Amino acid sequence: MNRRKFIKKSALAAAGTVGVPYLLPSGLLFARQPSMKAEHVVFVQFAGGLRQQESVLQRYLNGSQNEKVEGNIMYNLLDGKPPEDKIAYGTDDKQNNIVGAFPINPILQTPLQRLGTLFPEVRFSKGGAGHFNGLSTGVSGNYYVTAGLRQRTASPTIFEYLRRHAGFSATDCWSIGQGITGSRPLLNYSAHADYGRRYGGNFLAPLITFGSPGQEHFMDFKNYHPDTDYEMIREIRGFLNKNFSNDGLEIPHLYNTPEEENSIREFIRATFEKVKEGRITMPPVNDNGDLKVLGFTVELLRWFKPRVAVVDLSNIDVCHNDFTAYLKNIHRADHGIAFLWKEIQSIPGMKDNTVMIVMPEHGRDEQHNSIKDLNDWYAYDHSGSPNARRIFTLMVGPGIDANLKVGSEANPVGDAADVVPTIADIFGIKDQVKRAGLLDGNAQSLFDRI
Amino acid sequence: MLVSNKIRMWCGIATLALFLAGCQKDYYVYEINDQTILPVNSQKIKPKSITQYISILYTNFFQKAISPNSMLQAQKAIESVGDKQVAFDILLSKYMNDPKVILPTVESMRQDPEGFIRNTYRRFLVREPTEAELNWMLNYMQSRPNVTPEHFYFAFGTCNEHFHY
Repeated sequence: MNRRKFIKKSALAAAGTVGVPYLLPSGLLFARQPSMKAEHVVFVQFAGGLRQQESVLQRYLNGSQNEKVEGNIMYNLLDGKPPEDKIAYGTDDKQNNIVGAFPINPILQTPLQRLGTLFPEVRFSKGGAGHFNGLSTGVSGNYYVTAGLRQRTASPTIFEYLRRHAGFSATDCWSIGQGITGSRPLLNYSAHADYGRRYGGNFLAPLITFGSPGQEHFMDFKNYHPDTDYEMIREIRGFLNKNFSNDGLEIPHLYNTPEEENSIREFIRATFEKVKEGRITMPPVNDNGDLKVLGFTVELLRWFKPRVAVVDLSNIDVCHNDFTAYLKNIHRADHGIAFLWKEIQSIPGMKDNTVMIVMPEHGRDEQHNSIKDLNDWYAYDHSGSPNARRIFTLMVGPGIDANLKVGSEANPVGDAADVVPTIADIFGIKDQVKRAGLLDGNAQSLFDRI
Repeated sequence: MLVSNKIRMWCGIATLALFLAGCQKDYYVYEINDQTILPVNSQKIKPKSITQYISILYTNFFQKAISPNSMLQAQKAIESVGDKQVAFDILLSKYMNDPKVILPTVESMRQDPEGFIRNTYRRFLVREPTEAELNWMLNYMQSRPNVTPEHFYFAFGTCNEHFHY
């Protein structure tokens, strides 16, 4: 073959590889090549019911305890000066026995609000303002007015949309839970007949997996060779499973490939080693569960480089009975998210190629309950009150307008159900997701709301 | 002419009667009821709960019951991993590293392969193997000199049939 022919054939082969339609798991032939805004998305569900007054409105104690002290305790995420008086949200001054006396140093030089787009007044528009409802809406783009705990969402999750319509693999999609309570392990796939477990994302609750339950029952598990021992186990098990062909009756696995299963096992083994040696990359301050979860999340991002990861935080829910602890945990969630963003920028492949979305799953009431904490500050619950429906959404990353604010208190823009179509939009499958007809009627890509 | 018509009519009736009588199908009754043949494991249609599964798995490998505290911790560990096949594999791999786990020796397996396979089916799947299953397992054992009881026990302990009852 002469040089010219070789070049011509190579060019044709390359063009063919790019242009040849492929069959997605959805059965769609001639699927359009998605035009992606970024290759990775990290969505943080922040963080157990957050009031606007202590977050975007930056009213500190003025919006809750009738004390004239205002300021921003989320200065990694939001633009604004911190409070100058009655500091109770930082780390403790143990010497002088002052709770929360030392604010945590900012991690980011520029707040994420200036790097991205903030929707300061978004609405959690339907259903009860409960945690599982909120988390379910966040991952599925729909509301559940009658559903309770222990029920998977009726509409598909973002993981299922991406696995089915964008061809993502199981380890491309991760749901990371702050724990296993509140039905968090059910957030990785829906009960929808056309989607469901076949397209589910992986789930991990690292504080349990690597905490005492996992240390007792997982740590130091036997290291079978994947090509010899596991191969034989798989062959025997494959024969047994073939002979047990009752329809759909199988151990509820997530259709990870054998290579993906090996990778998950090796991730768990390697992370245990790091736990033993104290080498987990944790935020500088890591004195609550949310911060530790974010540390493990960074480990998971480094290992799998998932296309989409959803992590939920929950420590600020302590606001039901301890307002001071609520303030401290808001400040820590801000610290943890800044740490997460900074670490993402050190992961090859994810650096400059990841959109991060931050949204509380719901707000909290405007009126306090009767419980007072050590500072004599009132606590707040979350019912279906209008204030509990007020949340914000912050997006940052490639393709996101910098220093943009969309909406205001007088002109709310955005809905809690928007995150799913927004992520679908980032990965170029917005139309397929819309066509499935399973989103809430109000749900819209945030890019379309700008 | 009239006689001829009558004859024709009677001939027709006789032919029709013969035709109808002649079309009856013969039925032979052997007094055996129809039987639906189902696979031997078709009765197992319910998934075990995680606690049931762990409890049975532990008992099969340690020949004693798991303590309530340990059970609670094991259940939490399993729930913390989304893919239950991966979670069960890790749990059993952990058990396999425990010196107290009770497994048949390789020698005993090789001395009486059929007995080993039958006992393994009885222990984990609470049934006898079919002839096809037995043959497959024996052939597999013969063709894999490195296969051990541990591999068989692991596969049986984490197969779909063992997760159902």
